[in-house]
Amino acid sequence: MKNVFAKSSSPLRKIFLVSLVAFGLMTLDNSTSWLSPLYRVADSVVRPLYWITNIPARVQEWGEVNVTSRTVIEQENVRLKQESLIHLGQLQRMAELAAENLRLRQLLNATELLVDSVLVTEVIGVSPSPQSHTVTVDRGSDDGVYVGQPILDAEGLMGQIISVYGGHSVALLITDSTHALPVQVLRNGVRSIAEGTSDYNRMTLRFVSPTSDIVEGDQLVSSGLGGRFPVGYPVGTVASISQKPGDTFVDVEVDPSAQLDRSRHLLLAFTSKDGSPDRNGR
Amino acid sequence: MKPVSLTGPVTFSLIIAVILQLIPVSGDWILWRPNFLMLVMIAWVLYQPSRFGIGFAALVGLLADTLFRTALGHYVLVFALCGAVAYLLSRWLTYFSYFHRAVLIFLLVIFSELLQALLFSIWDVPMGLQHVPVLGFVSAIVWLLVDKSIASLNFMYRS
Repeated sequence: MKNVFAKSSSPLRKIFLVSLVAFGLMTLDNSTSWLSPLYRVADSVVRPLYWITNIPARVQEWGEVNVTSRTVIEQENVRLKQESLIHLGQLQRMAELAAENLRLRQLLNATELLVDSVLVTEVIGVSPSPQSHTVTVDRGSDDGVYVGQPILDAEGLMGQIISVYGGHSVALLITDSTHALPVQVLRNGVRSIAEGTSDYNRMTLRFVSPTSDIVEGDQLVSSGLGGRFPVGYPVGTVASISQKPGDTFVDVEVDPSAQLDRSRHLLLAFTSKDGSPDRNGR
Repeated sequence: MKPVSLTGPVTFSLIIAVILQLIPVSGDWILWRPNFLMLVMIAWVLYQPSRFGIGFAALVGLLADTLFRTALGHYVLVFALCGAVAYLLSRWLTYFSYFHRAVLIFLLVIFSELLQALLFSIWDVPMGLQHVPVLGFVSAIVWLLVDKSIASLNFMYRS
């Protein structure tokens, strides 16, 4: 017989139990990778929803292409032709410099330069949490994407791939608070580590001595140390330098070059030693 | 009399919340976007406290954890505590006006953000709190819409 006076578990007991389980899960997730298959399953389930969430962006793109006057298109065409000419001119100069650089490196018996080829990709999802700076792109292992691969936009380095699936991948952006990347000042080669701050418009340099030759406005590029990112990609510009009384190091704030919260079309960089284009002709 | 199953409307409302959560936004809107999953969870706890309580809130939190890529358990705890507040106040809140409930949501959002900042600090993840008042305000405005929608869904399936 059912006991009509039976009391269900009290809310306080439930809260205590849930808190205990939550803390257990957090500890497990932060110290091991046992729960990563769960994220993979969730990613596969959520993947079809990205198609729906991208409808506003697609409508906007369609509008830009189809609801633009002929005059505007013609003006844009002229501008693009001019830009293309300028870039071609710069490329010829670059080719000459690259050949000269290679000859000099051979003279010094240095290692071969890494030559990068790229694959164009599109952002199909952005992390909904302001604390986690990740984007989902529409290229995966089917296109040769691999974990640790650098990703960039037209302005500079954006981040690296952290998870790869068949038709899509997830990239961690350089502004994520868990991301750090070796950089050097373009002007004088001073090396440092640029860390994310969970702010799309700000990064910081770690352990910069007050005597270091870094000034506001200095351009930072990837230094290539660690072998994860190729050398020479723009990372950011030094926005401010300050020192709190009693601190050993100065606080250096960096304005990222890449349009981290705006860029839609990105490039996946492939690095190869021989310089020949890969099987896809990239 | 057998109670009407609410699986359909709850699933539907959660899918809509996930879609709204995943729509890419840029600039400060990333910080000011309300947590739609939390708002929908609170609405169901308020309207059906006998069926959806702390356990339901924790499950929606688990969904949020996998979606937001936070450490599993982070949103489980945050949602369970916010759900518990909504559950304990549900008897009185149904008699409150929409405006008063929106004020409660404002306070709950601030509580959840402070709790998250505390949890992130345990794992040395920095989290700014400058955006919290605006986020609370935007969430309270959006709540009026969520409240009305869930109330209509609840009424449709009850009658």
